Amino acid sequence: VDVLHQSNKVLSLFDTPIPIAPVHTNDELENIDVECFSQLEIKEDCHSLTCNFTELDLNNTNINLTICTIIENRICSTMEKQEGTYFLYFYGILSPKDVCVVLESNRPYCRSVEVTHIVKPETPFGINITFRKDANEYFIQYTTPHSKKKYLKDKLIHELAYRQENGTWETIQSQYLRVKLLGKSLQMGASYEVKVRSKPNGDYFKGIWSEWSSSEYFQIAAEHPIKKSTDLVVVITTVGFILLFVTLVLILTFWKTRIKPVLWPKLPDHKKTLEQLCKKPKKNFDISFNPESFGYVHIHKVDGIQAKAEVECFLQPSAPLDADVSEKVCNGSDMKTRLSAVDKSILKLPVTYGGIWPSDTLSGHLCETHPSMLNESSNGIPYKVCSSNGTQLYNCGPMTHSSSSEDPTVQPRSGPLNTNTVSLIQPNNGVRSSNKDEAYVTMSSFCKNQ
Amino acid sequence: FSHFIPKMDFFFRSVFGILPLFIVLLPVNSSTCVMENTAVIREKYENILSHDIELLENMSEEYRDRCCRNKRHENPSAFFCNDTQEIWSLQNMACDMLKFFYKKKINKDFRWQTARVSCMTLEILHCRCDREQKNRKVCILLTQPSKDILGAQGPKKKCCQELCELKETISSLRSCWNKFEKEIAR
Repeated sequence: VDVLHQSNKVLSLFDTPIPIAPVHTNDELENIDVECFSQLEIKEDCHSLTCNFTELDLNNTNINLTICTIIENRICSTMEKQEGTYFLYFYGILSPKDVCVVLESNRPYCRSVEVTHIVKPETPFGINITFRKDANEYFIQYTTPHSKKKYLKDKLIHELAYRQENGTWETIQSQYLRVKLLGKSLQMGASYEVKVRSKPNGDYFKGIWSEWSSSEYFQIAAEHPIKKSTDLVVVITTVGFILLFVTLVLILTFWKTRIKPVLWPKLPDHKKTLEQLCKKPKKNFDISFNPESFGYVHIHKVDGIQAKAEVECFLQPSAPLDADVSEKVCNGSDMKTRLSAVDKSILKLPVTYGGIWPSDTLSGHLCETHPSMLNESSNGIPYKVCSSNGTQLYNCGPMTHSSSSEDPTVQPRSGPLNTNTVSLIQPNNGVRSSNKDEAYVTMSSFCKNQ
Repeated sequence: FSHFIPKMDFFFRSVFGILPLFIVLLPVNSSTCVMENTAVIREKYENILSHDIELLENMSEEYRDRCCRNKRHENPSAFFCNDTQEIWSLQNMACDMLKFFYKKKINKDFRWQTARVSCMTLEILHCRCDREQKNRKVCILLTQPSKDILGAQGPKKKCCQELCELKETISSLRSCWNKFEKEIAR
């Protein structure tokens, strides 16, 4: 019913005074069901009341509806009849009203109505749909005429209905004038229809739903670019995590064997190096440089074999040890100058036989420095080789002739022989290793000290 | 007959003497408000009347009050919201505001809204104005859809004593309602 075009018939005492009729029940009118709703501020400050009968056959009868106030002055007014509905403008909404059904000469049948409890809001309008790419959502805004009025401004709840083309309706309720539809919940490429209606929220004003607004239509994009980029990000992130995991596993697996030696190389350990160089031992074949571990081995004393000078060992101390004994003749002067370049720490001298003792076994023994070794450059490294009883065993001096028992500098030893290595004692300079593991292992460390 | 005179004199003195006493003892302002549930009063004020008062205040602020300073109000009691007597104070203010309904120097819409607020105040509090039958009919006249009952608009003046008085009364009414609402909300 377009209430805005109704006549201005309002509850008034002076226009058509109606005698105050007592409220009596009427058997005929008791069963008549009248439905009414009110619309607040429908015309400036004026409100409206619209009523109709649920039984249609009464439309043709001469029946009227009157609205009366229930305050001290009972003021009644007849509602205007329009095509099966009855309509009236009124002002006061603070007090309830009596809706009286008057059927010709019968006494009116009245029913009390609280106009604030039968409110039907005006229809919302102005649906606006905006697509937000970043959030992939459809932002729907709408307006209600009550936003600019006094009583129902913030007292309404709104219901938004949407559906795919000719599909089933889905609804969302909100107390605000905006609703969001997630793009992922909508079918891509489909067309959707949207409409909205309002109702009092029930805190003070109660009532019924308004009419549905006019529908709006919008199309969902065929592809969501945000979704594509999102998928790509997900894939890249997943691959990244997998690669990271694999890298971690590889690092943990090869840390000790490959990575750590490269990043933090160990200092060369000749003992271990020698062990590695050795061939794989047969079973029950012990490889050790510890003479005590060979206590069960019967070591044959080899007497008379003169150790040949290994000049090269003096001159190139960094060169790998050569276990073979070879005769070499060296010049005494050259030898001494080259000796100065030798590392002052420890000299390695491969000597096979002739009673050369390891440095640790010679500690505490009487050793005398051969004077011939000290007559040259002060940078020469004096050294001496002593036997367990203080006898000088070997030197690499000018007399390098080996296998000569007549060499006054070489004395045959009397004790067991370390056939592998010999170490030279440097009494004055150089660093003497006190740790078995760190000392250069000589070839003569197999024999026990007797 | 002469012995009746002292008796009659006594009669008249006793009867008619009491009457002035009753007149003196009668309260100046009789209560014309019916007690109403304070919760209902608060509901109606918060959901309906407060919005109309706010509209009336906005309309009042549109009028310049430069000439309203240093003006004495003729009825100072209308500006006081007495403790524990808020309903009585509101009734007085509302009834006082009804007299402006016929002041043609004031804007027609402003007068209309003033009368609406007054009538709604009286309706919520279940009060009525004892004084001035003319004012009591204003609320009935407000039911008319047309504002023609307000009459023609009078000539506008820059300064209007009545306008100043009305603005002050509106402000007092708003303050008293706020005070009363807080009181009944406890």
